Amino acid sequence: MSAAATPAPHGVSLTGKIILGLLAIVVAGALGFFLLWVTGLGSALVEWTVDTGEANIEILRFVAAATGVLLFTIPAAFVIIYMELKIIAQMNMRVGPDRTGPFGALASLMAGLKVLSKEDYTPRGVDVPVYTLAPAVTFLASVLTLLVIPFAPGMAGYYMELGLLYFFAASGLGVVGLMMAGWSSFNKYSLLGGIRAAAAVISYELPLILGTFGVVLLAGAFGPADTSPLNLGQIVENQAGWVWNWYAFQQPLALIIFFIAATAEAGRTPFDYTEADSELVAGFATEYSGMRFGFFFFAEYVNVFILSALTVTLFLGGYHLGVDIDPILGFFGVTTPLEMSSIDPGSLGPWLLAIPLMVPPVLTLAFGGLLWMVKSGWGIIKSLVVGFLLANLLVGALFTFWALFSFEALLGVLVFFGKSFGLVALFVMMRATYPRVRIDQMMNFAWKWLMPAALLNIFITAGAIIIIKEYLS
Amino acid sequence: MTADREQIRSLDDPEVMVQTPATIYDAIPPLTPRTEREAEFYELGDGEMFVNLGPQHPSTHGVLRVVLKIDGEKIVDLDPVMGYLHRGVEKICEYGDWHHAISNTDPLEYAASMFSEALPVLSAERLLDLEVPRRADYIRVLAWELNRISSHALFIGWLALDLGGLTPILYGFAERDEIVEMLAALTGQKLLFNYMRIGGVNGDVNHEFLSRLGDWMGRAAVRINDQATLMNENEIFVNRTKGLGVVDREMALQYHMSGPPLRATGVPYDVRRAHPYSVYPELEFDIPVRTDGDSYARYLLHIDEIKQSLRIIDQVLHQMPDGPVMAKLPRLLRIPPNRAFAAIESPRGQYAAYAVSDGSDQPFRFRIHDPSFFNLQAVGPLTRGELLADIMAIMASLDPIMGGIDK
Repeated sequence: MSAAATPAPHGVSLTGKIILGLLAIVVAGALGFFLLWVTGLGSALVEWTVDTGEANIEILRFVAAATGVLLFTIPAAFVIIYMELKIIAQMNMRVGPDRTGPFGALASLMAGLKVLSKEDYTPRGVDVPVYTLAPAVTFLASVLTLLVIPFAPGMAGYYMELGLLYFFAASGLGVVGLMMAGWSSFNKYSLLGGIRAAAAVISYELPLILGTFGVVLLAGAFGPADTSPLNLGQIVENQAGWVWNWYAFQQPLALIIFFIAATAEAGRTPFDYTEADSELVAGFATEYSGMRFGFFFFAEYVNVFILSALTVTLFLGGYHLGVDIDPILGFFGVTTPLEMSSIDPGSLGPWLLAIPLMVPPVLTLAFGGLLWMVKSGWGIIKSLVVGFLLANLLVGALFTFWALFSFEALLGVLVFFGKSFGLVALFVMMRATYPRVRIDQMMNFAWKWLMPAALLNIFITAGAIIIIKEYLS
Repeated sequence: MTADREQIRSLDDPEVMVQTPATIYDAIPPLTPRTEREAEFYELGDGEMFVNLGPQHPSTHGVLRVVLKIDGEKIVDLDPVMGYLHRGVEKICEYGDWHHAISNTDPLEYAASMFSEALPVLSAERLLDLEVPRRADYIRVLAWELNRISSHALFIGWLALDLGGLTPILYGFAERDEIVEMLAALTGQKLLFNYMRIGGVNGDVNHEFLSRLGDWMGRAAVRINDQATLMNENEIFVNRTKGLGVVDREMALQYHMSGPPLRATGVPYDVRRAHPYSVYPELEFDIPVRTDGDSYARYLLHIDEIKQSLRIIDQVLHQMPDGPVMAKLPRLLRIPPNRAFAAIESPRGQYAAYAVSDGSDQPFRFRIHDPSFFNLQAVGPLTRGELLADIMAIMASLDPIMGGIDK
């Protein structure tokens, strides 16, 4: 069959097809614009669009924010998958991925592309509409919860007065997707997995939500009166200043309850009985393949990130560093509040010279030394050169971000993601350490231990608030 | 729900119209039960359903198929289906000569094949009343104990993996890898060693084997402890295994269990001490015993046995004499008519063979007693009434190897 090698005599080549197609679009577009301009419809259309947009600006904002958050979750999930591969490998005495990208960092991306390119197979006997919709429902439910999390001062998808309520309402939808998948898959393992997921969520949503009540009570009692205590941005602002202002130190029991319930909610080890691979093959995802399976996969990792982010927001100070930076900066003569407009490098005095003298060598040495320790094949010179380049890259990125936003936003984002991914690492390490809990043990734990503990926490918090407000002030 | 079936032309006779085969929507027509037990089992009660576990299920350790009748998560009844790995080893052995039986019995216990391949060797030596060179005996004990450790390390990993733990399996495999490399240096094979010979072993210990062994012995005890610390007091692991699948003394003896499941009930039966063979009488070691009889006791017993095996290896390395590793035997082995019983303590219990010779160079009958088969029988009474997740913990703690069960 050598005919495939020779092109057809009168056919159009691939380049020609592309150029012709583009040409047709350009001509049609130009004609359309011309017609709109001639008839006067164009200006009317623009006017109508602007009017409608202005009237529905809230909806537009919501859609734009949701799209932004949706786009953010994909790289976040890739980073978490890579963390999982690498950290578990270290705990298992393995090397982990090390072929694609530096230190195998692109392995998760390649896995994602592989899943994307696989056949999307619908088995016979499934309830097709439900089966098709289930991954999307699961994924969207977890993505939409990210909308209300404040990443930095002034950086949140959507500031909502009842943010916490919205969060739990949206995350509760996730289990509907799992149930849909389990029920429609026409597979007994899937059915068991879906029912287990439903049982788990019914049991663990309660301690999860009750665990946050302590924080809400504190925010309502001591926060400003004009905002709702359910506003996540306000909850973070209440934890500003030194590290002991974090709610983790005022609500340690609630933090523990919330973290355990969050682990179960995200379906992570030791509560991953919904897709217990040694019992139910893959649980609700047994019959899924290709990107539909990928959506479940993504939803799980996005869930891990979101619950870490919520734990950070509620208990660990959100985007606050935990250091009251103003007195420290005041010591060096920097005026506060620190903002883009008010930064005066001249006020640093002789310290101004220290910055260009100290920062590049320290960063270069830090990066270079790390590389030299990790990359056994690299000499010290090569490590230092690459470290210098990386330091430049980091400083350049930081300055760009600073120029675009503000110092507070930059610091907030770095601190927030540092804390969140730290918690994600904790989730991952738990996965490598613990076996799976049996479903009856987990039910016992939820109803007999976590629920009473959460209620006790609420009573203690409420009592303490009354005592402080009535008798101590 | 039943889909409309299409009428299509028959492949045999185009004139005849036949219905299309059943679709998945159709109820599977009931099989006619062959026994009373089957009739009782395949009758579904209210709210019950069948779940098919295996033969390709990730946690049935090979190709065991278990039909579970479950009510929600609770196991009402179960029906193990075996034979997916049946090769007729006993019959195959009758068609080769005595030497062929070694490689035929090799894959029976594929996680520890030093033991199953020793069966024809030991029984032939009993039949011949043959004195094996002492160095060969010591090398055999060395190979057996190394293989026992590798099999036990694998057991610990599998048990944790079936309970959902990811890490112990890799710790177990790190141990097993080193031992397998060691035995590969000794025998030339990594899984099915084919090393035992009637009258000795295939070759003397070599430099690579001994250097690998010395290297490994230095850190083996520490690493076993590392693995144990990850699991021994792991709250979830203990909660999952303690009090689960309790076998008491009477039941264990009734079901003819042996090996760790029997010793975990408090019966100190170990073939190495009860019916000594090879040079085990000259070696100093304890028979670890636990009295709880549950999955956790079985797990702890495996760790204890690994420590005892390390002790034996240490003594063997110190006491091993010089000399030949093979007795002088004719190449075509004609064994005089007789019958012999040879038993050996494998990692899973008493591995035994009953061999009958009719004077030819082939075994007349070679009956193999596999401990996994008897241990696995306990799965039925142990899992009834437990939860779906528990069948994994129970089955993994009984440690069946399907190669030996299906024979």
